[in-house]
Amino acid sequence: MSKKLVKAIADMQEESALKQVNQMMADKVEPAVIMDDAMEAMEIVGQRFEDGTYFLPELMLAGEMMNQITEQVKPEMAKTPVTEPKGKILIGTVAGDIHDIGKNIVSFMLEVNRFEVLDLGVDVPPDKFLEAIREFKPQVVALSGFLTLAFDAMKETIEAIQGAGLRDEVKIMIGGGQVNEEINKYAGADAYGKDAMAGVTLAKKWIVAK
Amino acid sequence: MTENRSLKIIGEKINGARKRVIQAIEKRDTVFIQELAVKQVEAGAAWLDINAGTRQSVEPDDLVWLVETIQPVVEIPLCLDSANPQALAAAIQVVERAPMINSISGDPHRLQSILPLVAEHNCQVIALAMNGKSIPELSEQRLEIVHTVMQAVRASGVPDEDVYIDPLAMTLATNAKSALITLETMRAIRQEFPDVHLTLGLSNLSFGLPARSYINRVFLVLAFAAGLDSVILDPLDREVRATLVAANLILGQDRHCLEYTRAFRAGLFNTSGATTGVS
Repeated sequence: MSKKLVKAIADMQEESALKQVNQMMADKVEPAVIMDDAMEAMEIVGQRFEDGTYFLPELMLAGEMMNQITEQVKPEMAKTPVTEPKGKILIGTVAGDIHDIGKNIVSFMLEVNRFEVLDLGVDVPPDKFLEAIREFKPQVVALSGFLTLAFDAMKETIEAIQGAGLRDEVKIMIGGGQVNEEINKYAGADAYGKDAMAGVTLAKKWIVAK
Repeated sequence: MTENRSLKIIGEKINGARKRVIQAIEKRDTVFIQELAVKQVEAGAAWLDINAGTRQSVEPDDLVWLVETIQPVVEIPLCLDSANPQALAAAIQVVERAPMINSISGDPHRLQSILPLVAEHNCQVIALAMNGKSIPELSEQRLEIVHTVMQAVRASGVPDEDVYIDPLAMTLATNAKSALITLETMRAIRQEFPDVHLTLGLSNLSFGLPARSYINRVFLVLAFAAGLDSVILDPLDREVRATLVAANLILGQDRHCLEYTRAFRAGLFNTSGATTGVS
């Protein structure tokens, strides 16, 4: 075990983190142990983001380090499969809206936190969501939108999910722009996330709870 | 940069994406909208961007109401901000001064439905360097779209000097080269289409970063030097305005430095004054 790795990632020391991983692999440390350290560091980064110490670039860099480390340990992992994806999340920007910066960040953060993410892109009509829910079978659906118009599209999408009898199959989170508790109620979602970390926290809560 | 290219402001505050504005539109709050218009003009806006939100069914009525509400209290042209040709056509019927249209892009549908309006009513038009839904990462790809757009613009009879190209400034937090890409695109457009104008919206650039005003201001100055001659922003932001006045002076756009000294006498550089216009 190595708290050095946790500290390097949490303190944004990219080179040192990757070096540390190499060293650990040379020392025959279990890949699962390395990944646990990395996840522990991600938690710290997430907390620092939430409390305003870190900002979006640090969150992105942490995600990139996570990806690089995963790539590095993958060959070893294959021999001893340990980490199943935590769960499946369907995400997309709702019909009529083409904003994707926030959605892409949420997608990325969910992926580095070990969720299997299916991203439907932007301007996604309700029936595309329905189709994907049936085929991909996610536990969580994440609807993104920036425009005020998106709030109506979120509501329509959630109504369509309800109408198709799939509402009890999924938890639904919304996010983007000026989304707040009021919009959450209006759209009929289960919760809203104010940023990418909030999305990750919700997903963890829901999927672990299941 | 010897010709006159002082940086003009397109005031962004009347936008239906802002909660207070959409409420004012729904309640037909004439006083709120007129005040917001006048304040921006007093702060030096050369155009007022007018965005009625995106509820398709009511957008034409809302946009017409905004135009009719704002026009009596300002003397500058409006910038009609909508992707909906019906809303634009309705608003154009009631505008007094030829407006700017915000916006077209490389999206063929948007070119076909909006360019004829621009040509027929002698409007100016903002053209985004993107296709339907995606913003290309590389400068060369954005330039390619600009070529497509300019071909369509010229074919429709709109003169180059009525076109304001927005090369798009993306989020630095997710790509630290994004501002450089924007500047590179601007220089290339300047070279190939010397008569078009350049414009920019700044909302994406500093997203997710602290102390955003510093990023916006420094970028604005660099973009100005690269040929930017208009910008979509909040003219009530004193720090940005002060920066623009100084940049105009440094780039040779302020004869006898009068704009600068006047701004000083008017208190624009008083750092003690609270910055207004948090958007």
